[in-house]
Amino acid sequence: MIHIENDPWAAMVAHARASYPNECCGAMLGSTDGETKTVREAIALQNAFEGAQAARYELRPEDLLAADKAARERHMDLIGIYHSHPDCDAYFSKTDLQNSCPWYTFVVLSIRKGEFDHANSFLPNFDQTDAPKEELTY
Amino acid sequence: MAKILIPTPLRQFTGKQDSVTVPGGTVGEVLTRLTAEYPDLRKQIFTDEGKLRSFVNVYLNDEDIRYIGKDTAATTDGDTLSLVPSIAGGTAGGRN
Repeated sequence: MIHIENDPWAAMVAHARASYPNECCGAMLGSTDGETKTVREAIALQNAFEGAQAARYELRPEDLLAADKAARERHMDLIGIYHSHPDCDAYFSKTDLQNSCPWYTFVVLSIRKGEFDHANSFLPNFDQTDAPKEELTY
Repeated sequence: MAKILIPTPLRQFTGKQDSVTVPGGTVGEVLTRLTAEYPDLRKQIFTDEGKLRSFVNVYLNDEDIRYIGKDTAATTDGDTLSLVPSIAGGTAGGRN
């Protein structure tokens, strides 16, 4: 399961609302204890998709590298990625799956009419063919 | 010798080490040595055909190896290799 503490959760929702009607994306830093991941900090990253961003996002590898360095400096781990789905449910789309990485947890926030609606967490597999839901608390 | 920074989810395959230092004069040699010493890492990084997985980028210090010779890029003592995933997505394409 993954638990997101209050401050990073508020930052993620604020980022998703501010980016509406476009998709936002960012990194989640924290710690892992057995099967439980705890997010202690969220880092907003730039949506680098070249084109309409209402239905697409892309992370620059350089930005992820910087997020990983920040995590190491703060004695935390890069444990996941978040992004928003404006005016859509928080499902893991075909595009999400085809561009995923099995190393990380993916949290999707549904933003409807500019306001947070709901969120889900997913664990994509190696072959990018399935992404089971993971229990998410915040 | 080059130091490879190990992403958190892959540390289970390196005895919980967050970095590993192995010998090698090129990026390819370093990654080959890395996956020889930690064979469970191989599936995470390479396909069965021995190619880097589509979602894996390798950075030599701060440079993407695709632009500096790929696996033939030279490494020297003190260099750092990072494994960085390619990640994108969005609602385009609809539900899976």
